[in-house]
Amino acid sequence: MLLEVRNLKTYLDSNDGTVKAVDDVSFSIAQGETYCLVGESGSGKSVTALSIIQLLPRDIAHHPSGEVMFDYRHDDGRRERVDLLRMSSGVRRNVRGGRIGMIFQEPMTSLNPVFTVGDQLIEVLRIHYPNMSAVEARERAIDALEQVRIPHPGQRIDDYPHQLSGGQRQRVMIAMAMACEPDLLIADEPTTALDVTVQRDILRLMRELQERRGTSILFITHDFGVVAAMADRVGVMRYGKIVEEGAVDELLTAPSHPYTRQLLAALPENLQRTRGAEVIPLPGSRSPEPLLAIDDLKVHFPIRKGLFRRVVDHVRAVDGVSLEVNPGQIVALVGESGCGKTTLGRAVLRLEEPTGGTVRFNGETVTGLPPKALKPFRRDMQIIFQDPMSSLNPRLSIATTLIEPMKVHGIGADMDERVARAEDVLRQVQLDPASLWRYPHEFSGGQRQRIGIARALVLDPRFIVCDEVTSALDVSVQAEILEILLKLRDEHGLSMLFITHDIGVVEYLSDETAVMSEGRIVECGPTPKVCGSPSHPYTQKLLAAVPRIKQQLTG
Amino acid sequence: MTEARLTRSRSFSARIAREVLGAWGARIGLAWIALLVLVAVFAPFIATSHPWLLSEGGTIRSPVLTHLTTGDLMLLCAFFSVLVLWRLRLRFYRKAVMLLAVIAISGVAGSLWLKPPQIVIYEQYREAMAAGHYDWVIHAPVPYSPKDYLRDVGATGLKGPLESAQHHHWMGTEENGADVMSRMIHASRIALGIGFVATGIAMVIGVIIGGLMGYFSGIADIIGMRLVEIFEAIPSLFLLLTFVAFFGRSLYIMMVIIGLTSWPGYARYVRAEYLKLRKQDYVQAAVASGIPLTSVLFRHILPNGVAPILVAASFGVASAILAEAILSFLGLGLVDDPSWGQMLSQAVKSSTFNWWMAMFPGGAIFLTVLSYNLIGEAMRDAIDPYLRKSG
Repeated sequence: MLLEVRNLKTYLDSNDGTVKAVDDVSFSIAQGETYCLVGESGSGKSVTALSIIQLLPRDIAHHPSGEVMFDYRHDDGRRERVDLLRMSSGVRRNVRGGRIGMIFQEPMTSLNPVFTVGDQLIEVLRIHYPNMSAVEARERAIDALEQVRIPHPGQRIDDYPHQLSGGQRQRVMIAMAMACEPDLLIADEPTTALDVTVQRDILRLMRELQERRGTSILFITHDFGVVAAMADRVGVMRYGKIVEEGAVDELLTAPSHPYTRQLLAALPENLQRTRGAEVIPLPGSRSPEPLLAIDDLKVHFPIRKGLFRRVVDHVRAVDGVSLEVNPGQIVALVGESGCGKTTLGRAVLRLEEPTGGTVRFNGETVTGLPPKALKPFRRDMQIIFQDPMSSLNPRLSIATTLIEPMKVHGIGADMDERVARAEDVLRQVQLDPASLWRYPHEFSGGQRQRIGIARALVLDPRFIVCDEVTSALDVSVQAEILEILLKLRDEHGLSMLFITHDIGVVEYLSDETAVMSEGRIVECGPTPKVCGSPSHPYTQKLLAAVPRIKQQLTG
Repeated sequence: MTEARLTRSRSFSARIAREVLGAWGARIGLAWIALLVLVAVFAPFIATSHPWLLSEGGTIRSPVLTHLTTGDLMLLCAFFSVLVLWRLRLRFYRKAVMLLAVIAISGVAGSLWLKPPQIVIYEQYREAMAAGHYDWVIHAPVPYSPKDYLRDVGATGLKGPLESAQHHHWMGTEENGADVMSRMIHASRIALGIGFVATGIAMVIGVIIGGLMGYFSGIADIIGMRLVEIFEAIPSLFLLLTFVAFFGRSLYIMMVIIGLTSWPGYARYVRAEYLKLRKQDYVQAAVASGIPLTSVLFRHILPNGVAPILVAASFGVASAILAEAILSFLGLGLVDDPSWGQMLSQAVKSSTFNWWMAMFPGGAIFLTVLSYNLIGEAMRDAIDPYLRKSG
């Protein structure tokens, strides 16, 4: 065994007392094996990884018990068992980067923006190989970039991180982690911030490097699709403990622990199966007059340059999009990051001023109206945001957040009536009506997202833009939120424009799907048709890149 | 995301308040300011020639109360209503409205009912007491008014602290014979008043202009920034000198001019905050709900961006106090009413060096400016995410 974690406990001191972030965790990783730690946010999977490589701040983290035995390879090839929790600082420096490489989640912040990619790679190399000459180090750095398939590595080595795309940056991170040929690679959610097509390439690259070098990987993720694609063995974490461990195909097909079963059942692709029959086609969903009609909508952002800030070009975020949403229909808008889907959603609500084209709501044109004339439409069209942390005003109580819009639109005769309505809406999103008098920071992410939905609902709208509403949430919370949205659609006949990048959610939730790429809609139609037999090459590529448990295990 | 839950979030304002109070520098600063506020509010009771209570031939009267001016009454009412409102759990703007109402009512009531005598004869009490007209008298702790030149005593000018045997002057007397301590106490009103009012004017203008600039950006921002640059180019001290030369010496003109010339700093801070906050989801949600612009600007954005403005304000108060002190020192301050700067200039004009004339007002200016700077620094440290301790 390359790495053996025995009874590891990591306690973190915070102002409110001690948090048992990792509570008696044991697992082991063999040479050349990929071990996946999977769990929801706060389960302690990242802290486990940081404990192994000893990157936790020493003043707040301590280990009451446990040992992390690592097969330490000396520079002369001798092997020795060392306990990573109690190693000398010399060994620790050599282990970090030299024997254990680490890849972090966010490629935007894990590279230093003021150094070139090459500088950062060469520095790592020269620390671990002090005898290496500058020329040799540069050659090895170019070689490392080539290994992670960065095109033209000889030129890109002198680029700064901002000149690379997100996927390329993550490749550089992998190159840095692999440059010293470590025995163990710890990857903490390495693909979570990336698009599915990029994610597929990165995962493929990691597997290839592993096969070639025999590196072991400790892979931390929350995504079971990625687990199925990567893992040999899996550990499911919850509240700092590993609740179930096993080979990947056994664990995913026949989970024994109720928590694992619950997690797997909450995946959108599994929800589909149980809910598929229940979704009733709504009466009148094929009405002649669509509720929302977008026609040739354009949102261009000017690029200004020079002394007089002249407009030299435009970023065509939304470039001629036409789309219809019928009453009671959920239309999914799918695309990768930067394709303009969020801008489109905001332009529909006039939160972003469209450059051209029209948006008609219920037969009336919304674009071009002065702000005062927009007010009646504001009541009918609402939006729910992606990030539950930033979508609620931290200084206003939930009551103020919910009641002020009602007051503005004259809903409810007096305060008592409005409070009653706000309580009623909170019950609809399955929150305690007493939450009304609390502040956003007292709620968890899932609860805040419900409050976000409640805020959209108090005005009794007919149409809601849902902008990646479940992307920041754990799968089990996501399943609950999706269920609430479906129930609202069934009970109130709400129409939604559901913006997402998650194909699983699209298949579960939506009636129609529009696929967006570079500001345009490339394919649009009923969801089963678009997801089942896509006609446009981009849609085909996108769908093929989605990691699915069934597909990975069988194929 | 995994580490996010390890530290439970707390109310932002409560955390800032706790961190500011935790810094010892801010504690000292706040203590000194609190002392100044107390002294300033109760100045007509602490330092006055009018006895608190006296009995003349069996009738008891209180000369202090009959000499109370409308301004004194308004200040007292404001002070006590702030103390009461602080304890009440009400919305901030409602508290502000109530406070303004109390001040206005007390102002009207004071001008209707308070009729302080036009000509004040300070000597009358001492003479009457010497003549044995009073049965008993309760004096103020500092039994001299700031403009009581002790004409009845004679040859009292420029006595050091506790020099004369019969009259206890804790901080000595100035050249005309008035008690320095009494003048110091009454001057604290000017120092605090000019700091708060000038900074208040600057903040209101700065928040409105900066907020509009940041929220609308584009053309509003371009015009606003030019306006900011123009106002930043005005040398406020020279403007003050000019105004004083043309329109005479008035505390209110000084406050207004200091306020009108120092808003660009606040406008810049507010603009930056609004630029950042206007794209926040909760602001967008407020716009999408059709909430009117004023509410979006001042209810949804301002409370989230107010922290750096408060930091700037505490430094601003310090610089306003200094500006007034400089003017008074140059002899362009108020003629009659004492101020710390004017007392310093008296010290310089005298042919001999009288240390008590320079030490006490100079020390007071130093301590007050230092206090505001300490508070401002503690607030900045509490707000700055880069200086915050990890964990």
